[in-house]
Amino acid sequence: MSGEVEAEPSGGAPPPGPEPAAPGGLKELIAPVKSSLVLAAVLAAVGAIASLAPFVAIYELALELLSPDPDEGRVWTVVAIAVLGLVLRFLCEGTAFAVSHRADNRLQAHLRRRVVAHLGRLPLGWFTEKNAGTVKTAVQDDVLAMHHLVGHSVVEFVSSATAPVAALLYLLFVDWRLMLVTIVTLPIYAAFYVIATRKSGENVAQYGAALGRINAAVIEFVQGIAVVKAFGQTRRAHERFTTASDDYVAFMEKWISPVLKPQSVTSACVSPPVILLAVLTGGAIFVGQGWVRAVDLLPFALLGVGLTAPLVALGYTGNDIRSAGAAAARIGVLLATPTMTDPAEPRVPAGNLVEFDHVDFGYGPEKQVLHDVSAVLRPGTVTALVGPSGAGKSTLASLLPRFFDVDRGSIRIGGVDLRDVATAELYRHVGFVFQDVRLLRMSVRDNIRLARPDADDAAVESAARSAQVHDVVQALPRGYDSVVGEDAKFSGGEAQRVSIARALLADTPVLVLDEATAFADAQSEAAIQDALSELAAGRTLLVIAHRLHTVADADQILVLDEGRVVERGRHADLLRANGLYARLWAAGEHDVVEVGA
Amino acid sequence: MIREFLSVLDDRDAKPARGHLALLVCYAVLHGIVFVLLVPVLRALFAGDLSTAWTWIAVLAGVTAVTCVVHYAQSMYGFDVGLKMTRALHRRLGDHVAALPLGWFSGNRVGRLGQLATTGVWEVTGLPAHLIRPLVMAVVTPATIAVAMLFFDWRMALALVLGAPVIYVGYRVTSRLLVRTEHEIDAAAAEFGGRAVEFAQNQAVLRACGRAESGYRALDDAIERQHEVGTRQIRVGVPALLLFAVSVQLVVAAVFVVGVSLALGASLGVPELLALLVLVTRFVDPIVATAELGAAMRAAGNSLGRIREVLETPPLPEPAGDAALPGGERFDIEFDDVRFAYEGQGGGDGAADGRAALAGAAFRIPAGTTTALVGPSGSGKSTVVRLIARFWDVDGGAVRIGGADVRDIPTERLMALIAPVFQDVYLFDATIEENIRIGRPTATEAEVREAGRLARVDEIAERLPDGWRSRVGEGGAVLSGGERQRVSLARAILKDAPIVLLDEATAALDPRNEVAVQQSLATMSGRTKLIIAHRLRTIVHADQIIFLDGGEPVEIGTHEQLLAADGRYARFWRDRNRARGWRLVKGGGAR
Repeated sequence: MSGEVEAEPSGGAPPPGPEPAAPGGLKELIAPVKSSLVLAAVLAAVGAIASLAPFVAIYELALELLSPDPDEGRVWTVVAIAVLGLVLRFLCEGTAFAVSHRADNRLQAHLRRRVVAHLGRLPLGWFTEKNAGTVKTAVQDDVLAMHHLVGHSVVEFVSSATAPVAALLYLLFVDWRLMLVTIVTLPIYAAFYVIATRKSGENVAQYGAALGRINAAVIEFVQGIAVVKAFGQTRRAHERFTTASDDYVAFMEKWISPVLKPQSVTSACVSPPVILLAVLTGGAIFVGQGWVRAVDLLPFALLGVGLTAPLVALGYTGNDIRSAGAAAARIGVLLATPTMTDPAEPRVPAGNLVEFDHVDFGYGPEKQVLHDVSAVLRPGTVTALVGPSGAGKSTLASLLPRFFDVDRGSIRIGGVDLRDVATAELYRHVGFVFQDVRLLRMSVRDNIRLARPDADDAAVESAARSAQVHDVVQALPRGYDSVVGEDAKFSGGEAQRVSIARALLADTPVLVLDEATAFADAQSEAAIQDALSELAAGRTLLVIAHRLHTVADADQILVLDEGRVVERGRHADLLRANGLYARLWAAGEHDVVEVGA
Repeated sequence: MIREFLSVLDDRDAKPARGHLALLVCYAVLHGIVFVLLVPVLRALFAGDLSTAWTWIAVLAGVTAVTCVVHYAQSMYGFDVGLKMTRALHRRLGDHVAALPLGWFSGNRVGRLGQLATTGVWEVTGLPAHLIRPLVMAVVTPATIAVAMLFFDWRMALALVLGAPVIYVGYRVTSRLLVRTEHEIDAAAAEFGGRAVEFAQNQAVLRACGRAESGYRALDDAIERQHEVGTRQIRVGVPALLLFAVSVQLVVAAVFVVGVSLALGASLGVPELLALLVLVTRFVDPIVATAELGAAMRAAGNSLGRIREVLETPPLPEPAGDAALPGGERFDIEFDDVRFAYEGQGGGDGAADGRAALAGAAFRIPAGTTTALVGPSGSGKSTVVRLIARFWDVDGGAVRIGGADVRDIPTERLMALIAPVFQDVYLFDATIEENIRIGRPTATEAEVREAGRLARVDEIAERLPDGWRSRVGEGGAVLSGGERQRVSLARAILKDAPIVLLDEATAALDPRNEVAVQQSLATMSGRTKLIIAHRLRTIVHADQIIFLDGGEPVEIGTHEQLLAADGRYARFWRDRNRARGWRLVKGGGAR
């Protein structure tokens, strides 16, 4: 992100930077609106040419008025043409603006839909906290950055390029010698631009680094301020922040100053007053020599001084295109993230027997988490995963709802590999309730019946009752129609129970459950526990257990340590074995014994 | 706008900004004068009077030279001012933020402030270059020309002056129309952004419920809505911009018609007319461009407004004198009829506890004892703890430490008394060791390690490649939530302050670590400890239990006393006990 924020030095043109590498993704991304963009560009070009009309008209007017016997009718015709030229120009520009903005608007919606559709097919494991931010950046900020390109830059670029070229051609036609005088200072600016671009290009990386440092210092200062204050270190953290700010300023001075001086001088060379001076000086000589009439100076005074403004605009457009390119590249990366393969010939599981068959899994090649895990979950039984933190319990549990695909081995349900089951079919069999609940900003009713949108009110209420949350919902201002986050604000425990109601209504035969859910909210612990017991009844259960006594009655306990199943069996057997489970149990009992009063 | 811009800088820093503005105006006026000089030059040339023409060209050259010098000066100076402002704004923000009450820093605000201090500051310091300069040029230069026109022909000057209100009205109407759609655009964008994040964060649930494949309605609607609003903006915006262009054109056309009529009637010289038309047509573009600048201006104005908002948030008042603690070295804590309510937006996304107010809380926590705060969520437990650390100031009553009102204790002194372990832990992008050392920078390495060991950070250090010198990443990203909590605990242990405030949200610890950490907390003897207690063990062993409900301590006493009283606490205790014995499945033959 560091390279994105550009603090441009005040005054003059934007600092010349290296030309952007043509991003491959940009072309492809804007393909759907290409024809509109071409139309807008043509309109912009016509508008730019029409913008010359009043200037040409003034010249014609001068010729007519200065003639010994001005033709009044012709004078008014010229005035009318000047005004019509203006009208045509603004009409063309307005239409080009409308066309490009409509295209941009369409493209934004199109890109957002495309990204969202792609997200829906990414592996679930991709959606970490960090990537949720990436999603927002991509669908909102990056799409907006492209807005500048499609909505403005194309039109601006075309008219900035067309207007001076058309003007020069016209001036060439009027008098080529005077045309050369008009642009006599241009090469100075051009030479500077080329040199400065080469020079500053070397420092762009350093600039990015300086910007990155100050951003990091700011963020650290702001985010850490509570800690820093609480530990009486405000002064020190503050110093670090101001030092970073000073460093940045010093760097900018060092970097920009050598470029700034020549830039200020050369940009003065092409400023309108200087060009006007050149035209009039050259013109007076030409008139004195009898090469041109005095009236012939008019178009040069008029159009010559207007040549440079578009040049500066071109510089800005370059910046826009650069940032749009970067944004397009980020969207491209997102769209290129491989999606989960949906089975070519989906198979339907026969029954609900779950088998883990020599499963290996890791979050990338360096971080293997699970090693050769095998287990069978018989229908209607409870399997508990226990082990120290970091043993791989949650990872193993998340493989069953296919948050990730295994690296080796396979997981089967009803005899069919998960990868061969269509997504919708899989979720008819497997449900989950995890500790981390976020309800959607929609009515409580719709939240509960998310998996079964056709469920009637009675079914929703009955699920809520079983999940011990009916009374809570009833007490809300609009009952089940209250919108979560607006007039329905739930405590952690209440939100848990809503999500349990959702799972009850979805009614999947296999359920993955995090037992920590039960103590997410110490105060409503009992209510959540009742709800969970209700949910667990009669299903095939895979439980991530943190408090061993809650799963002491499980049909099967898998003891994980460093990604391997080190023990398995029932509570009593495992205690007798006197291994890791027995030690964990003893540590837990410690607490129980002391409060046992 | 410019005034608001200057107001975020203090006087010393606003001076160069004002100077820059003066230079800009100077440049714009000179620019106008150069163009006005076109009139006598052309007049002389058309009259065939070359020597007069050369005289005027010499004048024009002189003015141009001055213009170039001013251009150069404003360009160099502008850059300098931009950097000065960057530094000044950072300083001001830094100074001010450091003095704000801790309670101000809720999760949401911190994120926004971070963005404000980087992107927001660039946006504001970029203002002179990108907005103020073109705006000044578009207004001052034409105005100069209009005034100068008086010297040549008052009727033409009048036509220009009469044109100004037309252009101004056109500008206002256009801006108003554009602003109206911008609000809708912002709202639609915010709705969509929220839905997009929701979509990403709830992907698992949405998929499991079949909502990712068939499309998530709310998100689709948000995209559709944004598209609709965008379309409407174009429908309103394009005519609005055209309207402005038309109003400018009207003025130009009027000048053309008036001028040509006068020239045809021979009451206006042709050279004057021509020069005038040159000037008028030349300045159509910059004026029309201001309509679009207005939008960019408002965007920068938003950042400006937010920076101002931060700078105008009142800091915690510091006591005037260096008040000593009357209680000497006995740091008992007293709540004397404390009333406190969160302001409107309050803790933002704060915990459910955060919303509750205290309605006349009165109790004492004797020095060197352990007090457990117990109560339903929203009862004010976190508020009590935070008021001691002076996250906010009370609305009524007083919080006293060692007999001194916390408001009379200088912040640094107060903070030195307290070792806090709260739920939201922030780690710096530094090594584990350095993060612990923040607790007491003067501590020896052995002391840091010992504190780390007591909080079971040693186990984390063992696991990481560089041990105690492993870097934890920005915000401690390398570590899990439970691990970050342990580092924060180590900080508090190292700080070794007389008062320990602990939000016992150590649920992320596994049983073995939990026991170890509990034991090391117990070794911090002789401290005044106030614990938001979730664990039964902590509660039972506390010297005093305060049961809070609805912002009031409803029962105070020891575990035995409160059980015997058979009130709220006793009921809570029975519930918790039942919960503790809960088994997910009652074993059908499992036993």
